[in-house]
Amino acid sequence: MNNTPLVQLENVSRIYQQGKVRVRAVTDFSLNVQAGEFSVLCGPSGSGKTTILNMIGALDAPSLGTVRLEGRDLAELGRSDLARLRRDRIGFVFQAYNLNPVLTACENAEFVLALQNIPKAQRRQRVMEVLAEVGMAELAQRRPDELSGGQQQRVAIARAIVSHPAIVLADEPTANVDSATADAILDLMARLNREQGITFLFSTHDQQVMDRARRLIHLRDGRLEHDEVRG
Amino acid sequence: MQLGTMAWRGLMRNKRRTAITAFSVAFGVLLSVTFTASGDYAYTNMINTSAVMGLGHLSVEHPEYQDTPTLDKRLLEAEAVQRKALQTPGVNAASVRIMGQAMFASGAKSVGGTFIAIDPSQETPTYNIFLRTLVEGQCVTAEEEHGVVVGVKMAEKLNLRLGKKLIFTLTDKNGELVSELGRVSGIFKTGDDAVDGALVLLPLTLVRKALGYEPKAASLVAIFLADHREAAAIKSKLVGLWAGRQDIGVLTWQQSQPDLAGLIAVDRLFNHLLQFLVGLVIAAGITNTLLMSVMERRREFGIMMALGMMPGQVVRLVLLESCWLALLGLALGVIITTPWFVYMARIGIDFSGQIGEDYSAGGVLVDPVMKFRLYRESALWIAGAVFSLTLVAGIFPAFKAGKTSPVENLKQG
Repeated sequence: MNNTPLVQLENVSRIYQQGKVRVRAVTDFSLNVQAGEFSVLCGPSGSGKTTILNMIGALDAPSLGTVRLEGRDLAELGRSDLARLRRDRIGFVFQAYNLNPVLTACENAEFVLALQNIPKAQRRQRVMEVLAEVGMAELAQRRPDELSGGQQQRVAIARAIVSHPAIVLADEPTANVDSATADAILDLMARLNREQGITFLFSTHDQQVMDRARRLIHLRDGRLEHDEVRG
Repeated sequence: MQLGTMAWRGLMRNKRRTAITAFSVAFGVLLSVTFTASGDYAYTNMINTSAVMGLGHLSVEHPEYQDTPTLDKRLLEAEAVQRKALQTPGVNAASVRIMGQAMFASGAKSVGGTFIAIDPSQETPTYNIFLRTLVEGQCVTAEEEHGVVVGVKMAEKLNLRLGKKLIFTLTDKNGELVSELGRVSGIFKTGDDAVDGALVLLPLTLVRKALGYEPKAASLVAIFLADHREAAAIKSKLVGLWAGRQDIGVLTWQQSQPDLAGLIAVDRLFNHLLQFLVGLVIAAGITNTLLMSVMERRREFGIMMALGMMPGQVVRLVLLESCWLALLGLALGVIITTPWFVYMARIGIDFSGQIGEDYSAGGVLVDPVMKFRLYRESALWIAGAVFSLTLVAGIFPAFKAGKTSPVENLKQG
C-alpha cells in the first residue's frame, strides 16, 4: 500500500513584495493531506488560507520550502506541466463560482474534459452523469446568468470533479450563498467524498463548513496554529 | 466546447463594442477598396489608352529600334509576325505599323511631328484611338492610297481641311530625305493638344514605298491583349516563338513606355503607403479595443488557466477572437462597400470641371471621370491584408492574456 501523502507541504513560506514592503503571507508551514480527507483550512482573513490553497493547486509557488502533489515536487515542473497537472489532477471550486458566462452549465462542466481532448460524445456522457450527481441535469443548457448562486456552485462542483481529480480545492465555497444553500452544497460534497472517495480541502471561516470537516487546520498569521482531527 | 465557439461567444458578449470595432475594420475595407479600385481603374485605363495610341500592350520590333529608333531598323516579315501573334492565346489584335518622325508641310507652313503608318484594312477604332476620335472625314482607305488623317491642332497650324494636300518629309532606310504627298481624308481630336498637334496617320503602302521598305516590312507590330496584366507572360510565349531570331525583339508596354510605367509604379507605391498608414491607424484602434476586452477578463482567464488551460491556448483564444472580428469586419465591409463600389463602377465622379477634359499624365490621356475597377487579385489582396492586420492587432492583447500567471489574474476583480 502506498502511504505517500496526496499533498505534502514542507516548511513552506510565501513572501510577497508589495511595493517596498515584504509581506509574509505564510511562514514555515508544513502539512500532509491523505487521499480521501474532507479537511478545512480555517482562520481569520489574512491568515494565509487562500495562499496555501493556491500553492497546493499549483497556481502559486512558495518562496521557501517544498510543495508535493502525489509525490511530485511542483517546483520541478514548468508552466505547461503545471497547467497539465491542474487540468488532470486538481479540481477547483471558487468562492464566486467563476463559471464562464458565455458557456452553458453543461459546457462549463465539460470545459476541463475538452482541454483534455476527450471525444465529444464521451465527455457529454460523463458531464451529464456528473450534472445528474449534483442535481443539475435539468438545467444543463442554461447559462450562468440564468442560474441561482447555489445552482452555479453546483455546476462549479461538477466542473471540479468531472475529470476524476486527485483533490478538489474549494476556496470559501459557501461564502456567497445563504445557509440553506450552503448546507445543500456541503451535503453534496460530503456525499461525493463518502461515496466516491474524492479528497476535499476547503479554505473557510464559515462555521457551517467547519462543522462538517473531519479535520480542521487552524491558521493564524500565516502559521499553523492547531491541527485538529475529528473522529 | 471548441475554442472557436468560445471566442465567438466572447466577442458577442459586448455586442456594442464588437460592432464598433467591426465597423472600423469595415471602414478599412471601404477605404482600401476605394484606393485600390480607383487605382486599378485609372492604371488600366491609362495603360489601355496608351496601347491604342500606337505601341500596343506588346510591340514586336527590331531589337535595336527601342534605343536608336531610325527607320532602317525594321521587321522584314512583319505580316508573318502579326499572324503568329494573332494565334497566341490572350492576344486580341495585332497591327502592322511603321512609326517615326517626319516634317509635315502645307502651303508655306511646316511642323515637325510623329507619324504612324497603318494598313487601313486592318485597323479598327477599338485598337486605334485616332480612328475612334475622328471629328471630320474618315480613315484612310485602301483605295485612297494618299489619304492621311491629322490631328485637329495640326490642321489648325497648317490650315488643313478635308481634301487638302499635306507634304511629309522623312528619312528613308538609307538615310536619305524623301518626300511624299498626301491628302487629308480625316481629322481626329483626342483632347490631348500635344498629340492632336503632332501626330499624323499615313497609309502603310505609301510609307513603305517612300522609305524603300520591302513589301512586307514594317517598324513594328503592335499587339493588343485581352488583359494588360498578361503582358509579361505573353511576351515570354512570343519570345519563345522567335527564339534564335536576332532580328526580332518583343517589348512590354512597361519597356516601350518607361515614363508611363514609372508614373504608375510611383503612384501605386504611394497608394499602398497611404493604405498601410490608414490600416495602421485602424489596427491601433483594434489593438486598443481587444486589449481593453482582455484586461476586463483577466480573472476569467485566470480561472481558465487554473482549470488547466495552457498559456498557449489562452493566446489562441484571443487570436481567434481577432479572427472572428476580422471576418465580421470583412463581411460588414462587403455590405457597406458594395453600393459605393457599384455606383463608382457604373457612374463614377466626374472631375472634368476641376482637371479639364484633356488632362494627361506620362504622355497618356487620363479619364477625368474617377471610376472603380477591382481585379480579383486586388480584392483577395484587400481581404488578406485586412484579415492579417486585424490578426496582427490581436497579437499583443493575446500575449498579454497568456503571459500573466493564473494567480495574478485571479486577484483581479
